[in-house]
Amino acid sequence: MKAKLNPKPFEYLEWSAKFLKLGYRLSVLPYLGYWILRLSRPLYVDRETFFNRKFRYAFLILGGGILPVEEIRPYRLGAKAFVDNMENVIKAEQNGKPVVWVEWILSSEIVNAFNAIPFNPETLSVFGNLSGKDVPSRLMEEAESRGFATENCSAIKVTAGAYMLGQSPKPAAIIAGSHPCDTNVSAYQSIAHLTGAPVFYFDAPYWRDEDAFSYYEKNMWDLISFLEKTLHQKINWEKLKQVVDNENKFNFYMHEICEMMRAIPSPATMITPVYSWVVREIAIGDPNGTEMARQMYEVVKDRYNKGIGVVKKENIRVLWWNPPIAFFAYVFKWMEDEFGAVVVKDFIGDVQMPQIDTSSEETMIHDMARNHLYLAMARQCHGPVEFILSELEQAIEEFSPDCLIFAGHAGCKHGWGVIGIIKDFLKKRGMPSLFMNMDIMDQRHATEEDIKRWITDFFRSNGFV
Amino acid sequence: MKTILDETRELASSTGNHYLEEAKKNGKKIIGYFCSYMPEEIIHAAGFIPYRMRAVESKSTTKADAYYSSINCTFVKHCFNKALNGDFAFLDGVVFVNGCDHSRRMYDNWRYAGIGNSFLYMFFAPHKLGDNALEYYLKECKKLKSAMEKKFQVSITDETLKESIRLYNQKRRLLADIYSMRNKKDVPIKASELLGVMLAVTAVPVEKAIDILTGVKKFLEGRVVSKPDEMRLFISGGCIEEVDHLELIENCGCVIVADNICLGSRHFLDEIKTEGDSLQAIAHRYLNHLSCPRMMGDFNRRFDYLLDVRNEYGVDGAIIEKLKFCDIWGGEIYLYRQETKTNNVPLLALEREIYGGGAGQIKTRVQAFLEKLKNKQATDESLVQASGADYKPKL
Repeated sequence: MKAKLNPKPFEYLEWSAKFLKLGYRLSVLPYLGYWILRLSRPLYVDRETFFNRKFRYAFLILGGGILPVEEIRPYRLGAKAFVDNMENVIKAEQNGKPVVWVEWILSSEIVNAFNAIPFNPETLSVFGNLSGKDVPSRLMEEAESRGFATENCSAIKVTAGAYMLGQSPKPAAIIAGSHPCDTNVSAYQSIAHLTGAPVFYFDAPYWRDEDAFSYYEKNMWDLISFLEKTLHQKINWEKLKQVVDNENKFNFYMHEICEMMRAIPSPATMITPVYSWVVREIAIGDPNGTEMARQMYEVVKDRYNKGIGVVKKENIRVLWWNPPIAFFAYVFKWMEDEFGAVVVKDFIGDVQMPQIDTSSEETMIHDMARNHLYLAMARQCHGPVEFILSELEQAIEEFSPDCLIFAGHAGCKHGWGVIGIIKDFLKKRGMPSLFMNMDIMDQRHATEEDIKRWITDFFRSNGFV
Repeated sequence: MKTILDETRELASSTGNHYLEEAKKNGKKIIGYFCSYMPEEIIHAAGFIPYRMRAVESKSTTKADAYYSSINCTFVKHCFNKALNGDFAFLDGVVFVNGCDHSRRMYDNWRYAGIGNSFLYMFFAPHKLGDNALEYYLKECKKLKSAMEKKFQVSITDETLKESIRLYNQKRRLLADIYSMRNKKDVPIKASELLGVMLAVTAVPVEKAIDILTGVKKFLEGRVVSKPDEMRLFISGGCIEEVDHLELIENCGCVIVADNICLGSRHFLDEIKTEGDSLQAIAHRYLNHLSCPRMMGDFNRRFDYLLDVRNEYGVDGAIIEKLKFCDIWGGEIYLYRQETKTNNVPLLALEREIYGGGAGQIKTRVQAFLEKLKNKQATDESLVQASGADYKPKL
């Protein structure tokens, strides 16, 4: 089964919205949802086929029937946040609302304070899989065939391909940035040309000191001026305050969850923070997202208080470095199910953002600049290798991992640029490590089967199973 | 008899040279640097010699491969391999720049490998233009100045900075003069020779560089190296430091008359203002000079430069190059492909590895491109009309 060469406009986004909406409605009875996922497992867990192509990915990210019922409830709210954003984007033109693309790794609070729809243009890197896991690759091929550099990060190639094939809305403006990697520096100049939209570029500093924060803060003030000028509107500070209040709560709950994962056994599965990260990317400040985080927190807190782990028998504690695998997000639940291996800390889901003081316009922007430089990927990918090593050191000290899996994303050349240092660092700490050569969005590099095989061999050869 | 261009070629083909040895003997410190966004004047004003880092003479990347991966840039790996081999032991320090993801990681790997240079410094250059970026760049200049003063117990004053600016502006002016000689019908210097000059003058004290450039300028008077039927090309790219590579291209039947490369126009275009605060003037020039694609949102200015020199230098076509795994130039190639079509500039995009061979493949592609250009020119309707009944194809 191959992805269509010429999909209908918005076909993938519409399918994602429809399917997630269906899931949202069905899971009003979470037990029903749980049993549907559980009983139908033989139909979809092993591999994608012609018959399960349109639902397998969604069923897997909802835990594939092994995510406890109490966690399905909050997931439902996350799905609602996705659906609302996607529907708003699809209907934006007929509703006369401008769509502002906000590149992943950045954050859309400020756009939310305008009468505009924020859209994460890398959305289909994840949700494209809902239409079949070869869909993101198909979008990349389109971009490559029209001259986009093959070495660019696959996330941005999906963005370009999706726009070329009419799968993304026309942007009224684009917000891009110089981090986390050279692809962002380069490819958004190409996307500016492709779409013809005005672009605001955030420039991430190298260091993390007062001058650097101040520079980034000035970028944020410039962004407000840019949006006011481009959208012919004034920022609504009250709306921004509401968004940031919700964000603060969201970050608080997620930070607490991540902290509780230090416990042995871990009370949470890594898919929870990772799913929340996607909610954050698409719809930060959405009340449904915040309520989702609260409910997730309650579930994990309850387990933590009772000393219960997310798996019955926790055999292996894993540290996952680099972003999760978009086309195989189920890998976390698969490891839990197959080996009792729980990812206790990762690169993306782990929340370390400081709270934002909403007492004035100035404090909000001031703190938001700091907050954004501590977002996942921003905090590890800019600056010297010490930003990576200190986070790894802390993870090893505080989360008691047995091993590390390095999901070596082809786009992260800055990470590959210090691979020798990272390997040496882990060796000195006696940490068994698996380094996978792959691409997190592009299964043309390595497939789900390859990844399963590598991880299985790694666990076996190190005597974990 | 050895000409001045033979001398520059010799200087270009080795990592060190006798000028540096002599300076070293006289107690001068030598500071290596990467990237055209690093202000040489600050190093010079400290009484030191800025030395542009290079991969020449590198034979392999074996040692560097243990630090980097197979998807990292070969220029960076070659430079780092040389460092691991001790080839840069004559340097007293190295200033790194966040030019790209590969090169910024050299700052990490260099420190981790414990390579002996005592002063290893990361200089942050913003990725965008504007007042805030300029203000930040200026702060970075001040920090570099302070770091050097502290480390080497020297004083960098406004007077020494002004003197450095004067000398480097003089060097820029000479380079601009030499480059502009190529806008004539009879071109006096090949791009491969000029690259040798560039490599030489970025590896010697600026005072000596001025002497060399004065000599080159004089030597080129009345010299002609181009042939009437040769195509005139523009070249754009990042790390191009192999004289042989440009020679290979030019030997296919063309002459490269203009460029936007690190060791080319980007190095000397735009002088530093001599009035006002020196560091402010330095910051302004280095941030705003003809950009490389690491500068976001500045493509139009880069492309306008090509269009300007096309008219001024009579450019028939353009070559854009990138090294494998370079996102930054990969994106630029996409943009070039779109805009050269719109503006009717024939384009050849090349991808290669530095010191990676593949000469035969490059030669074939360049030959095919030149043939296409000549055929196009020969059958160009407007040319036929302009020539009337006397029209004869060039070939």
